[in-house]
Amino acid sequence: MRKCRSHWSQGDRERHQRRSHYYEGPHTSHSSCGGRTREEVVTPPLPEHAAAGSPMAMSVDFKTYVDQACRAAEEFVNIYYETMDKRRRALTRLYLDKATLIWNGNVVSGLDALNNFFDTLPSSEFQVNMLDCQPVHEQATQSQTTVLVVTSGTVKFDGNKQHYFNQNFLLTAQSTPNNTVWKIASDCFRFQDWSSS
Amino acid sequence: MKRECRLRRGRSHKPLTLIPDTLLPTGPCAGISSAPSASSKRETLLSHTDQVAQRRARCSDIYQRRLSSRSEKVNPGIHSSSHQQQDGEAAMHGAHMDSSVRYTPYAISPYNRKGSFRKQDQTHVNMEREQKPPERRMEGNMPDGTLGSWFKITVPFGIKYNEKWLLNLIRNECSVPFIPVEFHYENMHASFFVENASIAYALKNVSGKIWDEDNEKISIFVNPAGIPHFAQKELKSEKVEKIKLAMNQQCDVSQEALDIQRLPFYPDMMTRDTKMASNPGKCMAASLHVHEENIPMVMSAVGMDKWKGTEPGEKCADRSPVCTTFSDNSSNINSILELFPKLLCLDGQQSPRPTLCGTEAHKTLPTCKGSFFGSEMLKNLVLQFLQQYYLIYDSGDRQGLLSAYHDEACFSLSIPFNPEDSAPSSLCKYFKDSRNIKILKDPYLKGELLRHTKRDIVDSLSALPKTQHDLSSFLVDMWCQTEWMLCFSVNGVFKEVEGQSQGSVLAFTRTFIATPGSSSSLCIVNDKLFVWDTSHQGTQSALFTLVPTAFSSVPAFSQEQQKMVQVFSVQSGMNYQLSQK
Repeated sequence: MRKCRSHWSQGDRERHQRRSHYYEGPHTSHSSCGGRTREEVVTPPLPEHAAAGSPMAMSVDFKTYVDQACRAAEEFVNIYYETMDKRRRALTRLYLDKATLIWNGNVVSGLDALNNFFDTLPSSEFQVNMLDCQPVHEQATQSQTTVLVVTSGTVKFDGNKQHYFNQNFLLTAQSTPNNTVWKIASDCFRFQDWSSS
Repeated sequence: MKRECRLRRGRSHKPLTLIPDTLLPTGPCAGISSAPSASSKRETLLSHTDQVAQRRARCSDIYQRRLSSRSEKVNPGIHSSSHQQQDGEAAMHGAHMDSSVRYTPYAISPYNRKGSFRKQDQTHVNMEREQKPPERRMEGNMPDGTLGSWFKITVPFGIKYNEKWLLNLIRNECSVPFIPVEFHYENMHASFFVENASIAYALKNVSGKIWDEDNEKISIFVNPAGIPHFAQKELKSEKVEKIKLAMNQQCDVSQEALDIQRLPFYPDMMTRDTKMASNPGKCMAASLHVHEENIPMVMSAVGMDKWKGTEPGEKCADRSPVCTTFSDNSSNINSILELFPKLLCLDGQQSPRPTLCGTEAHKTLPTCKGSFFGSEMLKNLVLQFLQQYYLIYDSGDRQGLLSAYHDEACFSLSIPFNPEDSAPSSLCKYFKDSRNIKILKDPYLKGELLRHTKRDIVDSLSALPKTQHDLSSFLVDMWCQTEWMLCFSVNGVFKEVEGQSQGSVLAFTRTFIATPGSSSSLCIVNDKLFVWDTSHQGTQSALFTLVPTAFSSVPAFSQEQQKMVQVFSVQSGMNYQLSQK
């Protein structure tokens, strides 16, 4: 799960986490180890697009996109659920400004509403048992690199019984020459037994 | 747990929560079985009531002796709080009740005193009762009004009723006038307090003698409430005036004079409401959230059929719990809030906050709702797509799905990985295709199990077991839409129709990402299927029948219709204009 950060030494990581600012915008220029907080999903930079049209190029692209999607998904899921459980206030940093969440049929739209929503949600303990991801076809995203992430597992909200849950995310990439920052554009969460809860 | 079993019985008739979705097609909800006749349920209720009443009558003997100048026999009736408190009380009843012994029928046993504030406010109230010397409890009305015997009057499932209407109805039937204090809705019930045992008894007699607009009898349950903490403190007079002003301006309570000192202002209602004033759905969610322990078996069995057709989303507008009436006047709230830290402190200790609308310590989850569609147009588009997709998917030949997918679409499927469970046999057939990158590290397999191109996808779908999907179980979340794509997840159940596990039911969530296709159809670019077995969770029945879902009004397709569509789609490459007849 940590392979994308394997080139950093432990010391580097700690130094960067202590910085007071953190990298957020897609085009800020920083060194290659630019400061990032724990609440960011960052992977190596996206590859250049191969020439469109040739089948070979497309298949190479596809495998690369699949790998990249997997890396983003793994990194993302670790950070997301840990943040949700232990640093709930920082969770909305993982969302785009205009992101939408549908939580058991309740629609929450925009960062303000998301902040409020996560604030009112009881404290949680997530256990993710299943994770899968797919790169989203560019026809659907107009070439904005996007990954579909699907998770499943159990969650215990304080004061409530444990539930099995399914969750879907659309992660979009904000690319720089140095790395890629992934943020949630859309989020759909449901208890498996939602009708009895 | 006993309680859960009882609830499941109740659930076989109706789920406890309602799933409102104003965009759902109207019409009868498929699969809702009719409740057994209400009268037979009521008989059961009465006999149970009688049994409990007898038991309580024994306990209440001491109780009566403490009341001054009471000629009527007080019969408290069924305790409407948690089952565990009933157990505590039952444990008491065998003991010999001596008047010198402190009588605490609703005392919290050490077991109960875990401080779970999901249980009724009685928990909080009872803790204070124990701190008072016995002779000061359960007295009649004192002239100075600082102490009295309080009773909590509960109308089960009273959340359906407008406060004024309900109180008027009760007043008309009640032999004595009464002042309802702190009328509120709690879970699905309506409650208020009265400060007089004879009034409480008179109200108990109203039970079953009033009817609602559906001609259903309304029951009234009465419980001793101990001395609520609000009755113990004196409020400063100028603050009392402010409160009085606020109450007169905004609160629609009884016209009779209220003794402000007794008003139970629960600070949590205010603070919670300032957050929730703009989101009535959430406020209602807080009060509607059903905690299983708080619903007595008796009530749930009787009340199930009462829920037909009601929608929690509407209620918040109609019935304004006391807590919402103060949301507009922030200066009043501030002055009220100033009082609360003192009110809440007993003898210098922090007391637990009452649980009328939930507490800071235990936030409630938002109510779970049904399908969400962005718009009526999108809803129709998606439902039509799903009907046609599953018609072909279940037809026995999935090649017809070729035209539903984009050339470069992706598909993968997963089944749960639960280290504790062994995979049930019905899921085994999906195991070899299951892609779970949390545990799958082989890069080759990671690639292989993600099917790419429509040809590969349809081939792998064709190799999956034959199915029959239950469209009436479908629930759809449309969670992302842009000009170029629609992203939605379908939840539902299906049956295996052949093989060893024929007849077994599995649940699924399928996420589609689709772009606009030709002739107002959808073209799938991403397809992610997750299948699981509900039997180990015990949720199978819930998914199946009872919830208004996306396809509530869709009739099942006949064999002929299915064949026709199959032939037609193969010939024409998927015509999405399937007629509904």
